[in-house]
Amino acid sequence: MDSTTEALINLGLPLLLLVATYFTGSMVERRHYLSIRARELETRQLPAITFRTPPRRWEISDSGLVSGSVVISVDYFKRFLAGLRQFVGGRVKSYETILDRARREAVLRLKAEAAAAGYAAVINVRLETARMANGRSGNGIAGLEVLAYGTGIKLRHGAP
Amino acid sequence: MKFDPTLPDDGANVSATHPLREAATLIVGIAIAAVVVFVVLTAAVELLLPHISPALEARIFSRPEVVSAIVPDIQESRDSRTAEVARLLDRLAGHWPDNPHSLRVAIIDDETPNAYAFPGGLVAVTTGLLAEVASDNELAFVLAHEVGHFRNRDHLRGLGRGLAFALVVGVFGIGGSAGAAELAGAAGLLAAAGFSRDQESAADGFGLALVQAEYGHVGGAVKFFERLPKPDNAIEREIEGYLSTHPLSAERIDAMWALMRERGWPSDGPLLPLAAGLAAPTPGE
Repeated sequence: MDSTTEALINLGLPLLLLVATYFTGSMVERRHYLSIRARELETRQLPAITFRTPPRRWEISDSGLVSGSVVISVDYFKRFLAGLRQFVGGRVKSYETILDRARREAVLRLKAEAAAAGYAAVINVRLETARMANGRSGNGIAGLEVLAYGTGIKLRHGAP
Repeated sequence: MKFDPTLPDDGANVSATHPLREAATLIVGIAIAAVVVFVVLTAAVELLLPHISPALEARIFSRPEVVSAIVPDIQESRDSRTAEVARLLDRLAGHWPDNPHSLRVAIIDDETPNAYAFPGGLVAVTTGLLAEVASDNELAFVLAHEVGHFRNRDHLRGLGRGLAFALVVGVFGIGGSAGAAELAGAAGLLAAAGFSRDQESAADGFGLALVQAEYGHVGGAVKFFERLPKPDNAIEREIEGYLSTHPLSAERIDAMWALMRERGWPSDGPLLPLAAGLAAPTPGE
């Protein structure tokens, strides 16, 4: 392979990847947000609140741990943007949507688990974030995990 | 307390900036910064050049570890051709009275016809070039052209620019991904090639003068350039013109004709055959 072809491949491949992953990433994100918003609307009657103790008038009949977690990955284009951002500093805007989606998805899964177990509400909801490293070197991000957990409670009088 | 369901705020945690807009801002900004740093560094090289005497240069580049770090993996071909090329080079350099360099010759095993001037007075020619030249005069012009690079100190300038370029790509390449470094690399190569075109023409002029002094005419010099094989397709030709170390552009050939007319150097004359040791190499050394 001569140097010209090599230069074209070295240049063209990352460019092609950037363009392709911009479109796939945008599509995946748009769909995810549509789904998130629809489910948030569906589950809005099940409260997931951060209070450590339930409101006094609630008469609790049962309780248990509920959790929801999601692992979500950044695409090549977002990583490229974050890499540039890393150079000059400032808000890493390309990762903001990733974390936003992950948090909301985790809460939605927590609500789904709570609803499946028959809980009427979840209190003391907490969020944890973990980075899953790529390979042994620990460089690069394979994915971000967001875990939402809390205490599901059943009420004697039904809905809160 | 009454439970009043509300939907999560849909955007407080996400910036409104469009990703493409952010990409454009960052790429343009960082590219401008990289170019500015490169320009400043090359200006610093120009300031530094007059302070590096040929004696100091020779001292630095006589160290084998320095040479091996700078000269890219030379596959030296050692046979009778090295001595013949050196003999011709010495004859030509003899017409440059205050030549401060002691010039050496290396033959690189590479089929692409090319020649290089490396710091420390090393003139390297490829086996492809030796296969391509048809007369003493043609080879003489290529060698004289490289001697011209030494006179104009292009070899040090090129090294300085190369270092500046490597530094910029290294530093700015860390921030971006490999793709960003590649992009920066291509842009920088274009810029570096743009700089060197004037240097090539200046070396052409000096090379022609040496050839004229040696043979009394400059026959063979331009013809050799015009005869060299051209890249096959348009894209390759385009890139070749920008990226090759010795762009054989039409402007360069035109500039040589203009100079020959101006100085009254005859463009035709008897061409001497190649020395026997060059035409049929015998293994040696």
